Amino acid sequence: MPASQAPEPPGEPAAVIETKALTKVYPRNVTALDGLAVNVAPGVTGLVGANGAGKSTLIKILLGLIPPTKGQAKVLGHDCATSGETIRTLLGYMPEHDCLPPDVTATEFVTHLGRMSGLPPTVAKERAAESLRHVGLHEERYRLIGTYSTGMKQRVKLAQALVGDPRLLLLDEPTNGLDPAGRTAMLELIARIGAEFGISIMVASHLLGEIERICDHLVAIEAGRLLRADTITSFTQASQVLAVEVEEGLAQLQAELAAHGLTATAQQRVLLVPLGGDDTYDVVRDCVAALALPLCRLEQRRHQVEELFRDEEGAPSV
Amino acid sequence: MSDSTVSAQPQAAGVIHDLGYRRYDGPRLGRAQIVRALTWHTFRSAFGIGRGVKAKIIPVLAFVAICLPAFANAFAVARGNPRLFGYDVYVPQLRVVVVTIFLAAQAPELVSRDLRNHVLPLYFSRPLRRGDYPLAKYIALTAACLLLIEVPLLILYVGTIASAKNGHGVWNETKALIPGLGVGLMWAVLMSAVGLFLASLTGRRAYATGIVAISCFLTWTVSEVLIQVEGGMTATSTGARIAGLFSPFNILDGVRIWLGGTSPGEDANPGHFGPLFGVFAVLLLAACLGGLAARYRKVSQS
Repeated sequence: MPASQAPEPPGEPAAVIETKALTKVYPRNVTALDGLAVNVAPGVTGLVGANGAGKSTLIKILLGLIPPTKGQAKVLGHDCATSGETIRTLLGYMPEHDCLPPDVTATEFVTHLGRMSGLPPTVAKERAAESLRHVGLHEERYRLIGTYSTGMKQRVKLAQALVGDPRLLLLDEPTNGLDPAGRTAMLELIARIGAEFGISIMVASHLLGEIERICDHLVAIEAGRLLRADTITSFTQASQVLAVEVEEGLAQLQAELAAHGLTATAQQRVLLVPLGGDDTYDVVRDCVAALALPLCRLEQRRHQVEELFRDEEGAPSV
Repeated sequence: MSDSTVSAQPQAAGVIHDLGYRRYDGPRLGRAQIVRALTWHTFRSAFGIGRGVKAKIIPVLAFVAICLPAFANAFAVARGNPRLFGYDVYVPQLRVVVVTIFLAAQAPELVSRDLRNHVLPLYFSRPLRRGDYPLAKYIALTAACLLLIEVPLLILYVGTIASAKNGHGVWNETKALIPGLGVGLMWAVLMSAVGLFLASLTGRRAYATGIVAISCFLTWTVSEVLIQVEGGMTATSTGARIAGLFSPFNILDGVRIWLGGTSPGEDANPGHFGPLFGVFAVLLLAACLGGLAARYRKVSQS
């Protein structure tokens, strides 16, 4: 049955989210969005911005919960101001804060929300079990949510967003409150949903370093305006660095590298060397060997995209 | 709906969540059906169905308490006594107490939990419109109250006609029952609006219970005391006639008398103030439903 259907139904819009001059002014002249124009292509997109940049306002407008003051927003080709109901059948939303009752089981809760997404009773049950399995909560799904760890609760929140088979997921700070291992697991899960389930995802976060790992595109907003929107590769192109850590002789090595034409910058106990190509490794290795320094780390790193934003602020948006 | 990707995953044997994702292309329910599903879900939880044992205690006790007099009536009638209670004023004090306890316990169960746990964004990010959620809650609580109020009347009716000697007796009982059911409907419609609105003011369940219980009991007590001060239920002074307006229960009783109810109830006869009781009932209902809508309008945007 799914095979008979074309993977991309005709008429599927090129952009999953499209805003034009989107402005939202709250009472008392608080401007949350200021002429935001952005096109989000299918795939996994990061929506980054500091707290108060307008991420949550944008999400609420996209869900059709608040009307924009000016401008237009479209989700999957539907206008948010007039077709909120249709859009919400196509969307899955994972809020930032806690939103789970402690005194029901995950199965019951996700099933109920599946019903609220418009699924018939038996389908809701099946899909709740499947969604919980997809997020890795198969065994624990009959436990009360109150007994779950923070990581498991985040997974339930993701499962409830998935249960209605959305075409687009809006995830608001999905790694909130998780420990590093939990963050990695959550990010992997999101990447998998984007890649294997064929669901477009917009992940809002203020942690660039984190979501750049899983996104195809990045949209950066600041003070309600678009800072930059581009593919992740163009963000990170020419931003590769080699981190070299030696137990001693950092300054010596820096001088030696400079003599070989590499401008290394010291950052605490690490030297950051711009990575030109494979021969950079050789130069670094030779320099370390020549000085007979105890090398303890040599790893490829990327600049935090954050830094790129800082560098390119004011650059024309794409 | 078997999916080829399941078998196509080579590592599927060990990792349970690596089964493929399945799209859902089947029928989806419309908004009206979703509201119906939410109403049914809420109605069940009003009686603690689908919740733990603890959630069932108060609904069950309330039901037992309010039905006992009706069962007592069946015994009394079988022994040759006349029917013990009127259908339109069925054990008035007990009904006030039971309905108040039921509302104070169950209205917060229906609305405060979702507020407290911030579940509402999950509802509002689904096809429902912002008015649908309180509407479903209101319909469900009204239906639950209706059940609580009408079932004893039906027991009373069945218990009485079981001992009826002829068809004429049955017909008389039926004629008396119908206005009683109407009064019950008025109670359910108004009191669940009052209870739900008060409960929706706070996400803290204990506070919500307190607000509902105190508002209902306190106003009722004040109203009763005023009626006594003014000379009791048989008094005809203006004060006695309008003292009932202080309490939703007594407003309901005033409306009942105004609409032609004859049994003595809680109130002094409102006399020519009857229409005022009607107006108050409608205003109170409108205020509570309006407040409820405004409350959820605010919640859905925050």
